[in-house]
Amino acid sequence: MKLSTNALRSSPLAIAFIVGAAVVILFASRFPSGGEVGPGFFPIGISTGIILFALVELVTEDDGGLDVSDHDLRAAGVVLALVFGYLVAMPLAGFLVGTILFLPVILYYSGVRSPTTIAVISLLLPLALFYIFSQFFLVPLPEGVIPFSRLLPRLPVWVML
Amino acid sequence: MIEYIIAGLTNVLNPFTLFLMVAGVLVGILMGSIPGMTATMTVAVLLSFTFTMDPGNGMMLLLGIYGGAVYSGSIPAILIRTPGTPSAAATIFDGYPLSQKGEAGRAIRISTVASFIGGVISVIGLMFFSPLIADAALQFRSPEFFALALFGLTIIASVSGDSLPKGMISGLLGMLVATVGIDPLTGFQRFTFGVPELLTGVQFIAVMIGLFGIAEGMKAYSSGIDDEGKKVDQDIDGILPSLSDLKAIGPVSTASGIAGVLIGSIPGAGGDIAAFITYNEATRWIKDAVPSFGEGNVRGIAAAESGNNASTGGALIPTLTLGIPGDSVSAILIGALMVHDVQPGPALYQEETTLLYTIFVGFLLIYVLILVFGLLGAHYWVRLINIRESLLWPAILVLCVIGAVALRGNLFDAWVMLGAGALGYVLRLRGYPLAPMVLGLILAPIAETNLRRSLSLSGGSFDIFYTSPIALVIILLSVATIAVPAVRSLSSRSSA
Repeated sequence: MKLSTNALRSSPLAIAFIVGAAVVILFASRFPSGGEVGPGFFPIGISTGIILFALVELVTEDDGGLDVSDHDLRAAGVVLALVFGYLVAMPLAGFLVGTILFLPVILYYSGVRSPTTIAVISLLLPLALFYIFSQFFLVPLPEGVIPFSRLLPRLPVWVML
Repeated sequence: MIEYIIAGLTNVLNPFTLFLMVAGVLVGILMGSIPGMTATMTVAVLLSFTFTMDPGNGMMLLLGIYGGAVYSGSIPAILIRTPGTPSAAATIFDGYPLSQKGEAGRAIRISTVASFIGGVISVIGLMFFSPLIADAALQFRSPEFFALALFGLTIIASVSGDSLPKGMISGLLGMLVATVGIDPLTGFQRFTFGVPELLTGVQFIAVMIGLFGIAEGMKAYSSGIDDEGKKVDQDIDGILPSLSDLKAIGPVSTASGIAGVLIGSIPGAGGDIAAFITYNEATRWIKDAVPSFGEGNVRGIAAAESGNNASTGGALIPTLTLGIPGDSVSAILIGALMVHDVQPGPALYQEETTLLYTIFVGFLLIYVLILVFGLLGAHYWVRLINIRESLLWPAILVLCVIGAVALRGNLFDAWVMLGAGALGYVLRLRGYPLAPMVLGLILAPIAETNLRRSLSLSGGSFDIFYTSPIALVIILLSVATIAVPAVRSLSSRSSA
């Protein structure tokens, strides 16, 4: 039982965990001591555990991952990028407008081609969520630079009761 | 106890609470019927709807979704040989063959009744046994709670996924994330890097939404989104199961229900494990099965469905009594309670008794709703399988974002959610189970506070952990949980 280059290649995350945990140990070892065990004790203990189990994974060449060839990694990346863009736009556009802009793009990327379906979902879902959260649950949502959502009529009082 | 049951009943019969239970069950049935939409994801994504509700109402909505989704996962398992949720995987063995014989309606009716029996047994078990466990746990001090947290982590790592090292790494990563923020004992800022939002730590609900919503979404898109629907067009006739079927499934549903509660109460052993074990036991014990198991036997369907639904109440036993989640959904339920400053654990049984009995009585009523809607609506639920994923995933992604934003009213938590989603996706691709990470997030504060408090009490000596018999037994169990599979794996490698 030894560490082979094959194991290092098949478990790249294990290597990343070992490096990351070592950095955490270095960082946490500079924390001040306090009482019997200081604030660095637990993170150091956890990171040591991560290093130990990552080494076990490397030694045993344990590769139980999914078959990546079945996965279109680009599609996952596109979804991540779209949500990333949605979050970047939200402080500027606000939740309502940001969602109205995000939905047509993601719906189209998901394979929906009917303009009517895209338009209906892209308008009704953000409006419904806006009213439920902002007016019914009174959860403040980002309004954006120009607060278009304030132009919408408020829910009738009987609904709020 | 009677007065608390009456108080709980009064609470759940409130029209708004009833509405939430019905809505939860219907949403749960809807999402559980669609392959790939798990109960965990649905509860995580819709958790944000409960932030401003009182804890009892919030729990009713979430438990309705949980029960509904675990039940309805059987519908696609029976009709198209694809489980709606992992819990329904064992239902395929006999459900699909029965459906192939043109008896899909009969299979769904059996599944509905068995789910009801399992669910009711689990709630009764929860109602009567959890107060006893909570009473015993009231005697626990810091060493015992540290040992329990350690045991929770090791057991979930060993039963989640195929690899113990990967399970442990996932759990430890969750624990490491939970150390971010102000140190609870000294007030020192750990890993906050000057970011004010991190002073109170990483919001674990945001992490959970990322792990179970965004990561699942990325996986769905990378596997290929279905834009056509599954095109199920079988007609489901009749409403009630026949008397002979009820007689046939009664004993096996009851036995599987009891077993399901016990299995579900082990942290990490969720509905899928419960269903496989109860199905397997049914095939071992029932010798006169006609038709044989695997060829459309109604008792096979009943064993699997009663077992997986019984695990729901079972999972709530360690969740509510010890604060250690029984599965991923109950981890989210802990989050839902903590949003309202309700901390699960033995003290909950002293301080929030009415809330607890509202949960018990409400969960019982939820299973009655599942029975009623399941039988009356079977004709419609089968059509849900035809819903196009291409319409659902965009809506789920938006719900993930609004869920994280609504948590504290800021975008920082949404970024945390997105980061957790990306990490979760990569981890899943490499075969790391995500459930231990969630448990690690929840258990880390319990483990750390009690470890350090114990060491303060003992003047820094670790003797305190083995001079307490309970702590010692639990720690030995934790060591055995890791050591036994490791030794077995090493010996099988060396003999190969």
